[in-house]
Amino acid sequence: MKSILSPRVGLFLLAAGLLFYPIVFSGAFYRDIGVAVLLAAIFASAWNIVGGYAGQVSVGHSMFFGLGAYTPLLFYTLWGWSPIAGIPAGILLSIALAVVIGMPTFRLTGHYFSMATIAVAELIRIFAGTWNLVGAAIGLQGPATARGWWDLTFRSELPYYYIFLAVLGILLTITAAMERRRFGFYLRAIKAGERAARSLGVPVRQTKMKALALSAAFTSVAGSLYAIKTGFIDPDSGFGILVSIQMIIVAALGGAGTLFGPLLGALILVPLQTATNTWFGGGGSGLTYILYGGIIVLIARFEPGGLFELWHRVVPERWRRAHAT
Amino acid sequence: MLLDAKNVSKTFGSFWAVSGADLAVEEGEIIGLIGPNGAGKSTFFNCLAGETLPTAGRIVFNGADVTRASPEAHARAGIGRTFQVPTTFEDMTVLDNVMVGAFLRHPHRNDARDHARRIVDLTGLKADQQARSLGTPGRKRLEIARVLATDPQLLLLDESLAGLTPTELHDAIALVRRIHDMGITIVIVEHIMEVIMTLTKRLLVFHQGHVIASGTPETVVKNEAVIEAYLGHAQRRPPPGVPIPAPHSGEGFSGGGSD
Repeated sequence: MKSILSPRVGLFLLAAGLLFYPIVFSGAFYRDIGVAVLLAAIFASAWNIVGGYAGQVSVGHSMFFGLGAYTPLLFYTLWGWSPIAGIPAGILLSIALAVVIGMPTFRLTGHYFSMATIAVAELIRIFAGTWNLVGAAIGLQGPATARGWWDLTFRSELPYYYIFLAVLGILLTITAAMERRRFGFYLRAIKAGERAARSLGVPVRQTKMKALALSAAFTSVAGSLYAIKTGFIDPDSGFGILVSIQMIIVAALGGAGTLFGPLLGALILVPLQTATNTWFGGGGSGLTYILYGGIIVLIARFEPGGLFELWHRVVPERWRRAHAT
Repeated sequence: MLLDAKNVSKTFGSFWAVSGADLAVEEGEIIGLIGPNGAGKSTFFNCLAGETLPTAGRIVFNGADVTRASPEAHARAGIGRTFQVPTTFEDMTVLDNVMVGAFLRHPHRNDARDHARRIVDLTGLKADQQARSLGTPGRKRLEIARVLATDPQLLLLDESLAGLTPTELHDAIALVRRIHDMGITIVIVEHIMEVIMTLTKRLLVFHQGHVIASGTPETVVKNEAVIEAYLGHAQRRPPPGVPIPAPHSGEGFSGGGSD
C-alpha cells in the first residue's frame, strides 16, 4: 500500500497524467480547461514563492501579470515584433518594478504590506486605462493570424498546453531547488518569525527582495503566456484585482508555501469555475465572486494550511488503519 | 576585551529604561545580569543584541563599533542571543530550525545539515521532532541550539532557564556549562538565583535603569543597595547565610519594580 503511494510514484503519476491529458481528452473544451489549469498553476506557483514560502501576502501581483501581458502585445502593435520578444522585456520590467515596490513596502509587515501592494496595482491599472499608447481602456490585440511559428499563434490548443506545461515544469523545478537551499530555509524562517530570523543572521530585507523578484519574473511570464494565447489584453484582465485574488485563492486552496499546493489548487478550482460558468450560463460572472468568497471563508475557517496539509494529515491515518486491519 | 558597553542609555519618552550602564566582558567569562522586574535588564540586553538602538552610549565588540548595527549584523559579527519568550519556527522540524542558524557560516546545505546535527546531538534534542510539539523546556533548548549553530563568540541568554522544573534546570545548567567549555563567552539574564550563583563569577545588578552593584555573586548578595532594591527596606534584611529570594517565586518583592 505504502509503496504504491510513495511520493516518487505520485510525482511520476502526476507528470504522466499532465503529459497525456490532452491526448486522452482531445476535445477542444477539455484541452481549453487543461490550458487554463496550467496557467492558474503557473501564476499561483509564482505568487507562492513570496506569498506562500516567505509569507508576504501580496494582493497586487496583477501588476507583474499585467506587465508581462502587455509587453508582447505592445511590441507587436508598435513594431510588429513577435510576441516572444516581449516576454524577456516583461520579465525585466517586472523585476525592476519588484525592486521599486519592494524597497518601501518591505518596511511594512502583515496587512500593511498587503494593502500597499493593492494600492500600487490599482494605480497601475488606472494608469494603463488612460494611457493611449497601451490602448487605454480598450487594450491591445495580438496577431490575428500567425505569420509563422514565432508568433505563437496557434489554432489548436495543443501547442499552448505543452508550452505552459514546460514553463510550469521549469518553475516547479526551480521552486523545489529553492526549497532545499539556504534561500528556502531563510524564506520559511522569515515567515515563521522575522525577529528570530534576524537574530540568526538572516538578511531579511534582501531575502524578501530576492523572493519578490523571482516571483515577479514568473508571474510576468504567466501574463505573457496568457496574452499570447488569448491575443488580447485590457486593464482589467491584466492589472485587475481579481487577477491577484485568483492567484492567492488557487495557492491557498491547495496549500500556500508547499511545492505542489498551487497545482493542486488549480486542478480543483479551474474545473469548478468552468463548471459554474457552464451551468449558470451568462449570469455566471457574478457567481465567480461568490465562489471565491465562499472558498476564502472555508479555507480560513477549516483548513488554513490548504488541502495539501489536509492530505498530509488524512493520508497517514488511512495508512495506519490499513496496516492495523 | 571581547565586549565593551559604555554609558549605554535608552529612553522611552521621558522614561529612562536604562541610564548610563557599563559592561565590560572579557573572553571566556560568564556574566549574570539580575534585577527586579522592570529594572531595565531586558532593554539593556536588547541594546547589546542590536535589537534596540540605544539613545546614548557606545558598544564595541571585538574592536568594532556595533552600537548601530542591525541584529543580523550582530549575528554575523559573532553575538548570538535567545529570546525570553521562545520564538522557535513552529512549522519546521528541530533540525530545520537549527539549520537556519547553521546556514550563517555554512552556506551549503550538506555542511549546514552536518553542523546542525552535531549541535542537535550536543543539546540533547531529537532532530526529526516538529518544533510545535515541543514543551517549554524543549523550546528553550531549541532556541539555544539554533543560536549555537551560528557559532557565536558571545552568547546572550535571556531567561533561557526560566520556567523549568528542578531536574530540567540541572540539565540546563549542565548545558550552559558545556557551551562555556566550548570557549563561548556568556552573558545571562536570569531571575533564578540558583542559576546565577552556580554559573557566574561576576554579576551586574540593575535597578530602575541603573547598575547599582557589580562584583562576585557573594559580595553582591551582601550589598545593601541590592537588598534594598529587592526587599524595599534595608531593615528587612534576611539573616546572614540566607540567599535573597528569587523574585519569580512570589509577588511580594515588587517593591523595586517599576513596570
